[in-house]
Amino acid sequence: MKGQILVPKSLTNEAIAERLTSTALKNIKKGIIKKKPLIYLELNGCSGNIISLLNGQNPDFEYTLNSMVDLCYCNSLMAAEGDRAIEKLIKAMNEEFILAVEGAVALKNNGLYNIIGSWQGKPLTGLHAAKMLGERASHILAVGACATHGGVSAAKPNPSQSVGLQQVLPDKNMIKLPGCPVHPDWFLGTLAHLLLYGEPETDNLNRPLMFYSTIIHDRCPRRPFFDRGIFAEKLGDQTCLFKLGCRGPVTRVDCPTRQWNGHVNWPIGDNTPCIGCAQFGFPDAMAPFISYDTTRVVKNE
Amino acid sequence: MQNIEMIRMQINYLVTQSRYDINTLSTMSDTSVNQQILQRLWDALSTIHFLTEWLVNQEKASYHILPSQLSAPVPSWNLNQGQIPSITPLPNTPISQSNQRTFTIGELAKFNGKNGRPAYVAVNGIVYDVTTNRAWAAATHFGLIAGKDYSQEFASCHDGKQSILATIPIVGRLV
Ligand code: HEM
Ligand code: SF4
Repeated sequence: MKGQILVPKSLTNEAIAERLTSTALKNIKKGIIKKKPLIYLELNGCSGNIISLLNGQNPDFEYTLNSMVDLCYCNSLMAAEGDRAIEKLIKAMNEEFILAVEGAVALKNNGLYNIIGSWQGKPLTGLHAAKMLGERASHILAVGACATHGGVSAAKPNPSQSVGLQQVLPDKNMIKLPGCPVHPDWFLGTLAHLLLYGEPETDNLNRPLMFYSTIIHDRCPRRPFFDRGIFAEKLGDQTCLFKLGCRGPVTRVDCPTRQWNGHVNWPIGDNTPCIGCAQFGFPDAMAPFISYDTTRVVKNE
Repeated sequence: MQNIEMIRMQINYLVTQSRYDINTLSTMSDTSVNQQILQRLWDALSTIHFLTEWLVNQEKASYHILPSQLSAPVPSWNLNQGQIPSITPLPNTPISQSNQRTFTIGELAKFNGKNGRPAYVAVNGIVYDVTTNRAWAAATHFGLIAGKDYSQEFASCHDGKQSILATIPIVGRLV
């Protein structure tokens, strides 16, 4: 610990992520660790996580996927389509691979609400693919709210009967990265850790502690306003957003110090409450996202 | 002026405390203690930030009252001129005598946190004040709305943990 605190090395989030990924790359080049095949499966969701990952830095997503892993299958990024794409998926399954899944598993009508391709002339459902690949993967990463706990796909009334990945793979270990979407660092950092040092330490809900250990409220720059009971009454006010429905106090993740869009800002920094997108049960459990009727006093209501 | 002097003393105190904490951190290796010290450093930094913002706002409000600036919106927390609001007392400090009040379920329903009213919830016959409880932002908590009896929900979601209830101020009993 002594050396870690006052060393001249930069301790910004970018610098730490950079060091982790560049060490992984160096060791891959030296042959100390092996590039592993990665299958990135998109199930019932909005592709928001893959879009968020494209915003990754140090290194960027493309570099990670080319140099750190062999991306065998990813329907958004691969060149092959149709049967050829599914052929690649089936082929990749026969060797050791890491499985990353975004999107929920739709259970209704035996999975027919989410079809990801066709195989041997029959539709391949997300449900079937999740079970088949999940059983064989060496490591599983559930990426984003939908894959970790159902998320938006499972919001009421949940017409497709969507559930999180764990529900169809109850006995498998998986690392969960909740967030809507996932922050590129949470995914790329976990992946780099997996390659370099094995599975990262996780909490009792299987979230990596290196990203998900602090409550937003405990690192929020507006905390002094909360402690003094000075609350924002509308969006744009620069004080604590608690009365508007801020979910920072029940959400465990490092947004206040990590920040988004290339580490430049985050919701509370832009005067809008945290909506708890990285909390299990989002969005239903975090609703309403905004309330004005707590502070606004209406006479003769 | 006296206020400004007090703020200066507060900032100086926080700076001294932080220097001391940094010093301790560089010699300690107990991660759990370090975690607490880091949290204190973080809080000190946030408070210094808050105090300097306040000073700047004071300065703007009292010395440069140009017509153009008057129209600019003044943050509402600056309106109680000259006084820095104190930190709200911790919930487990002794609660006033008024916690003997009784509520019917109908009366409880009025305390839903709306329209500037407090937010109360009942668990096992006791009425708690969650108005400024961090987990009850906008008087809502995991789909629950204040103003109701949540004995069952508390038992199933929180395993009936008394340690959670012990942190919430009591306002009375449900009859
Ligand atoms: C639908 C049922 C409920 C669910 C799903 C739920 C869920 C949660 C969760 C996940 C947290 C922890 C946040 C964190 O620190 O990571 C929490 C905290 C808390 N809950 Fe609930 N809760 C429920 C019902 C209630 C009820 C009825 C009360 C009424 C007294 C309550 C009072 C609290 C308080 C005071 C905290 C903060 C605890 C602390 O300081 O550590 N909850 N709740
Ligand atoms: S803005 Fe939200 S996270 Fe920040 S102090 Fe207020 S309630 Fe806590």
